[in-house]
Amino acid sequence: MKLGYTIIYVADVPKTVTFYETAFGLQRRFVHESNLYAEMETGATALAFAGTETAEMNGIAILPNDPAAVAAGWEVCFVTDDVTVAYDRAVSAGCSPVTAPEQKPWGQTVSYVRDLNGCLVEIASPIAQPGE
Amino acid sequence: MPIILKTGGPIPIPSGYHETVVTPKASRAVEAYWSFTARTAGRSVVLPDGRCDIMLRDNIHRRGAPVAIVTGPATRAYTVTYDIGDRWQGVRLRPANGVALWKDQITQASDRVLRSQDAHALVPALAALGCNDITPDDLAGALPQLQWQGAAQIDLAIDTLHASGGRIRIAALARFIGCTPRHLNRMFRSTIGLTPKTYAQLVQFHRALRLIKNPRQSITGSAFEGGYADHAHLTRAFRRYGGFAPSCVPHDLTLPTLFA
Repeated sequence: MKLGYTIIYVADVPKTVTFYETAFGLQRRFVHESNLYAEMETGATALAFAGTETAEMNGIAILPNDPAAVAAGWEVCFVTDDVTVAYDRAVSAGCSPVTAPEQKPWGQTVSYVRDLNGCLVEIASPIAQPGE
Repeated sequence: MPIILKTGGPIPIPSGYHETVVTPKASRAVEAYWSFTARTAGRSVVLPDGRCDIMLRDNIHRRGAPVAIVTGPATRAYTVTYDIGDRWQGVRLRPANGVALWKDQITQASDRVLRSQDAHALVPALAALGCNDITPDDLAGALPQLQWQGAAQIDLAIDTLHASGGRIRIAALARFIGCTPRHLNRMFRSTIGLTPKTYAQLVQFHRALRLIKNPRQSITGSAFEGGYADHAHLTRAFRRYGGFAPSCVPHDLTLPTLFA
């Protein structure tokens, strides 16, 4: 097996796609005509969004992500060389700031925001590989 | 008529069924038209889905005016007995539109069934419908129109409740849609005619039923995923809403998507 998709259930798929384009600089791979599913251009593992109502279609049960509540216990992490620029863009596009960029003892710059749906998104610099 | 459960004889194939269900939400978002014509005499169990229907019952082989039937939000399974040619044509209402039908009686409408004169008294336009060639538009025309301000809020509450498989806590649901549990309770009772808890239990039951119908899925696993604390809890819900035990789900249960 390989990790094929990370799928986030959201109230409004097209709105979330547009938000991720603006806030994180991603591009859409495709949006299904039903507006109930979309994928972003994120390489071999697609970040995808599915309409909340597809949960019931598929027999699964979910709690809605809620900007006003504590974030669910998982996150998406974007890696970039300039964390501060990416963080500022995300916040100015409407993300809620969680922790501003800070340098970790292991040399990585790390920040957190929450997206329009309240999902936790980390924006961090690459970790230097041993020997680099 | 929500889900039909056949208890004897060959499965009657619904004829002239016009609904196109895209998603469960779509089936709630619009009034659905349905019809059912019995090809053999028999008996069916109708599972409760918390919604109201307006229907006309007649027999395609006999002349005579159809009997008008108006149901309140169902919370109990009930049995329907029919003859060859018995026909139902119905409109299923959006859950929150129960109040359009029952008005201030909605809070006492749960599991009520009005026939003939009683149905006409509630929905006067039904009395005017003839016996032959009734179209869905005729039934829709008999529907009282509903306009009210909190519709978006209760729709969000209903959708969220369904997405959670009936498992979201009522307090959490109220907070998510931005009201108090007390207001949520009042809103459900005054529109759907059921408390949020009862409606949630119906959603939970239907999901667990769907899980259990997968022959590769254990009852224990389905109960756990469905949010039932233990086997007794699951059995109680199945007896209450389906009239059967989790281990005795009839194998010829009509697919929920058909009559969802």
